Amino acid sequence: MAAVTRNHDYHIVNPSPWPIVGSISLFILAVGAVLWMHEIAPPWVFAIGVIGVLYTMYGWWSDAIKEGQAGDHTPVVQIAFRYGMMLFIASEVMFFVAWFWAYFDGFFMATDPLQYARVEWSGGQWPPTGVELFNPWHLPLFNTIILLTSGTTVTWAHHALLHNDRRGLKIGLALTVALGLLFTVVQAIEYTHAGFTFAGNYYGATFFMATGFHGFHVIIGTIFLAVCLIRALRGDMSPKHHLGFEFAAWYWHFVDVVWLFLFATVYIWGSWGVAVH
Amino acid sequence: AEAGKAVPGQIGFQESVTPIMDSIEAFHNNLLMWVITAIVVLVFVLLVVVIVRFNAKSNPQPATFTHNTLVEVVWTVLPIVVLIVIAIPSFAVLTDQLTIPDGQRKYLGNSIFSWGEVEVPAPALTIKATGEQWYWTYEYVDEGQSYDSYMLNEEDRQSLKPNEPRLLAVDNELVVPVNTTVRVEVTASPSGVIHAFAMPSFGIKIDAVPGRLNETWFNARKEGLYYGQCSELCGKDHAFMPIAIRVVSAEQYATWIASLKESGDPETANATLVAAQ
Amino acid sequence: MADTTQHALEQAATHGTDHGAHGHHIPTGWRRWVYSTNHKDIGIMYLVFSIFAGVVGGLLSGAMRMELQEPGIQIFHGLAAMVYGLDGDSAIDAGKHMFNVFTTAHALIMVFFMVMPATFGGFGNYFAPLMIGAPDTAFPRVNNIAFWLLPFAFLLLILSLFFEGPAGMFGAGTGWTVYPPLSTSGHPGPSVDFVILSLHVAGISSILGAINLITTIFNMRAPGMTLHKMPLFAWSILVTAFLLLLALPVLAGGITMMLTDRNFGTSFFQSESGGDPVLFQHLFWFFGHPEVYIMILPGFGIVSHIVSTFSRKPIFGYLAMVYAMVAIGFVGFIVWAHHMYTTGLSLDVQRYFVAATMVIAVPTGVKIFSWIATMWGGSITFRTPMLWAIGFIFLFTVGGVTGVVLANAGADRALHDTYYVVAHFHYVLSLGAVFSLFAGWYYWYPKMFGYMYNEKLANAHFWITFVGVNLIFFPQHFLGLAGMPRRYIDYPDAYALWNRVSSIGYYVTFVGLVLFLYLLWEAARKKRKAPDNPWGEGATTLEWTLSSPPPYHQFETLPRIDSTKTH
Ligand code: HEA
Ligand code: HEA
Ligand code: CUA
Ligand SMILES: [Cu+2]
Repeated sequence: MAAVTRNHDYHIVNPSPWPIVGSISLFILAVGAVLWMHEIAPPWVFAIGVIGVLYTMYGWWSDAIKEGQAGDHTPVVQIAFRYGMMLFIASEVMFFVAWFWAYFDGFFMATDPLQYARVEWSGGQWPPTGVELFNPWHLPLFNTIILLTSGTTVTWAHHALLHNDRRGLKIGLALTVALGLLFTVVQAIEYTHAGFTFAGNYYGATFFMATGFHGFHVIIGTIFLAVCLIRALRGDMSPKHHLGFEFAAWYWHFVDVVWLFLFATVYIWGSWGVAVH
Repeated sequence: AEAGKAVPGQIGFQESVTPIMDSIEAFHNNLLMWVITAIVVLVFVLLVVVIVRFNAKSNPQPATFTHNTLVEVVWTVLPIVVLIVIAIPSFAVLTDQLTIPDGQRKYLGNSIFSWGEVEVPAPALTIKATGEQWYWTYEYVDEGQSYDSYMLNEEDRQSLKPNEPRLLAVDNELVVPVNTTVRVEVTASPSGVIHAFAMPSFGIKIDAVPGRLNETWFNARKEGLYYGQCSELCGKDHAFMPIAIRVVSAEQYATWIASLKESGDPETANATLVAAQ
Repeated sequence: MADTTQHALEQAATHGTDHGAHGHHIPTGWRRWVYSTNHKDIGIMYLVFSIFAGVVGGLLSGAMRMELQEPGIQIFHGLAAMVYGLDGDSAIDAGKHMFNVFTTAHALIMVFFMVMPATFGGFGNYFAPLMIGAPDTAFPRVNNIAFWLLPFAFLLLILSLFFEGPAGMFGAGTGWTVYPPLSTSGHPGPSVDFVILSLHVAGISSILGAINLITTIFNMRAPGMTLHKMPLFAWSILVTAFLLLLALPVLAGGITMMLTDRNFGTSFFQSESGGDPVLFQHLFWFFGHPEVYIMILPGFGIVSHIVSTFSRKPIFGYLAMVYAMVAIGFVGFIVWAHHMYTTGLSLDVQRYFVAATMVIAVPTGVKIFSWIATMWGGSITFRTPMLWAIGFIFLFTVGGVTGVVLANAGADRALHDTYYVVAHFHYVLSLGAVFSLFAGWYYWYPKMFGYMYNEKLANAHFWITFVGVNLIFFPQHFLGLAGMPRRYIDYPDAYALWNRVSSIGYYVTFVGLVLFLYLLWEAARKKRKAPDNPWGEGATTLEWTLSSPPPYHQFETLPRIDSTKTH
């Protein structure tokens, strides 16, 4: 590290263009989304926003990685990153609370006599009449196994990294990424067989949005792990210093746990004693 | 206060004509008001004392204490006691409101610390009020009659009902018999928005939610014309969909409802009523 | 320490030279601000933005008060005619809608773009790190994007005003609570989508800000500063940050459902396809109630310091004060449905929420009484910050006790959605949160800018505002008890008197607002140098050990907190 007069180990970060670029991009994204949804403007406004946001992420995190490599990420700074990541995951958990809330609102209130329109629509039962559920013990179980396995492979990769076993690291990560992709593919296949629709159907809305947001997080997690894999292939990350990897692993476990809740409540509990296909 | 509407400069509740509003009024005026006034006065007096006694001139040398277990316990425990004193009648008042009379159960009325002294008969009439943008539809459920109730615009009011207040006068009031328990079912049209059915003199307010059938009740002891206003934001004419209830004698009600059933037209029925009065 | 008599910019420049390499030059020009990674600069940007938003929100409420000054429709048909070029009945219709749009925008601006950026973003950013002896925040870039997202969220809200809401009318007239179906099928145009995305962006900003400040407080306290020695303001920011972190994502979920209901055919809130409009209210208030404590907790922190400073006496009952805030934050998460007593909740559910809500009065009372006990035995000087702080304690109590009235579902039956509620929440917000905000502003003004404000004018600002806001909002209790519903552009003539008083109160407050702006200009022009610590020995927290304004990078050598000294 360059010689400075400061006597502490915190990281005083240089001014950065990314926050403002990111903010403007997100603004364009939002405006573009509204104009697109209302068919006022073609989707490219939105697309520009998306590209801007992705570009920001790339630039920002590249800077962070470079700073890490330059030695700015002292032990105390690393602790900060850990706090940051944990808090971020906590907020994500609360985001999922909203989707589970919606699901359980249907689940527990399906027979609420006050809600006559809903009862009429659903036949007073959960799952609502006309909704055909997935058999939890087919694809969902398969996906559960995939995710659980991927949890072990990522742990394997971590251990390999800690013991400076680069080959194990790469194989473990590659396997995890592959399992993540597989999960997404299986989920997509499952979606095409759904016995209910996304639009105009409360069950479909809660199911697809809850599992869809989960799936979206799987994709993010997969990308996150893939970035780690690329960095591993390039020889990045050391047994002592690999926050990026750790965070990808935490994130992956979080995604895993959300799935377990989905599997247990939406798939199994929700289909208890119900004919499934 | 005058029953049924506010008078200029009014600072308290509108006059109560039901046991439920009696209990709200007693609870608020005889208990809550005193408690909160006392607390505000206490805090005010303490502040004045502090300002007078402990300003820099009167007390140049500040004390240094930072703890006093006794007062800390007192100002934790005392509020708890006060809250319990509030909570006891509060629960009773609430329970009355949400319990439809069965003819046996006694209601609090003015005596909010009693176990119930006021007799209320079981409902003899069920009315369904449906909030629309922006008027109310009233249905006499057992009689199979229904009609709409619109606010009179200024011109019509001046020509048709010059003695009734602006924004409150409607073309067709809801007509109910005095001293009769009326069950009110409240909802909004399925494709509509939320409104709220409110009648200050009766102490009722309940949301009209699309697809949900909410329920409340009243038993008015005094004949007259009572006004309420839509109490949930429902769009541009939220301020212009009043609720007007005409409480009449049992005989008048009988005449009115007979006429309504015969003609199917509230205007004719209302004309009959005016003739009978 | 650097020369205390220099202006921030000059000082920054000279101070910068003694650092050679690596990120220690002080940026200049627009980059210093736009690219900023400095918590103090970012804090200042938050505050400037907040003042701007406060003026906009205040002007919107002025239009509302002018409308409500007399029965009948006074100005909004004219405004609609002016803005949208309509006339006759269509102008009146557009005007009625426009009033709701103004109410909505007023509330959203005051809540998301005035109070939160001022107390949490501004003071939180500037002073929490100083008080814990940290050189900056943990994630300076995150800090900056948390700020910069806000002006763009604000812009999205402004854009919503110019797009169709209900067919043929502009803007979102949904109330800040954006209840469906009014905000879904009732507003088919793009306007509400802009509002939703504005809230998304503002929410992301707050979550990022929260992550940054929690991490800062947990990870960057100076040696010896244990959590139990940490100043109360830092504590208040910590608790607030947790509320933000855990409450906002739930709102994000709720408004995302609304977005898909509006645009992609889902039916979360559409009862005909199995949805439930009341579900949104649960999600909204699960966020919304913690949100009100998000707006007041930093104020609690600020007031604690001011009361102690100007009484020249340490805080009374420090630990109780800390745990009272923690308790308020915690209980704040389990009381949300007290906003929903009339939606048709069952008796048992309403009973639970009555009981849970009333509990909050206890820790809040601990705070009120501890502030008074801090003054007790003190040697009080009534400088401007102290006036605002004492005003806060009294007026917040008034607003708090009416909250306890509302907490009783039985009484709320008569008061829900009336002006009594409007009176309650303005007492805790426009008289509570805003008073604490001005208290903090005057308290820290010399520190932040290195100049003194004009004490006489600042006193006048306090008194005028005090009279004004009480005139606005006290009579609204009467209106509410007498039954006047809220969100009404026009009201029965019987309510004329107190509405008129309320509007007059607004004009008085407006004079105060103008005086405040003048005061800012006057202080910037007169450049009366402020000492490092203008408040004397009562001001004991670390920011007063620094120059005014503090050096661009403070605590290059971390301060050590004496293990025997308490807060
Ligand atoms: C800063 C913001 C803030 C704060 C701090 C509070 C604080 C409280 N609020 Fe308020 N509230 C709002 C902002 C706030 N509120 C807003 C914005 C709304 C309306 C939203 C909308 O619909 O648009 C609202 C609405 C609202 C309602 C719904 C009303 C309705 O719509 O019908 C209720 C009901 O329970 C309520 C209760 C309370 C209570 C019990 C407290 C308590 O925390 C108060 C505690 C404080 C004290 C009690 C005073 C000090 C204590 C003592 C001196 C000790 C002794 C006291 C006793 C023994 C009682 N509030
Ligand atoms: C913090 C929140 C806040 C604040 C400060 C205010 C301030 C004011 N409010 Fe508002 N108001 C709300 C939050 C707030 N309000 C909310 C949530 C609603 C409900 C909306 C709904 O129904 O959906 C509402 C609704 C509301 C109504 C009811 C409308 C209706 O039901 O139709 C009215 C009517 O009189 C009103 C009036 C006013 C007035 C005259 C002020 C005056 O006090 C304004 C004077 C201006 C100030 C006091 C601000 C000055 C501050 C600054 C300039 C910033 C300074 C910054 C620094 C020093 C850093 N407000
Ligand atoms: Cu109907 Cu408001
Ligand atoms: Cu609340």
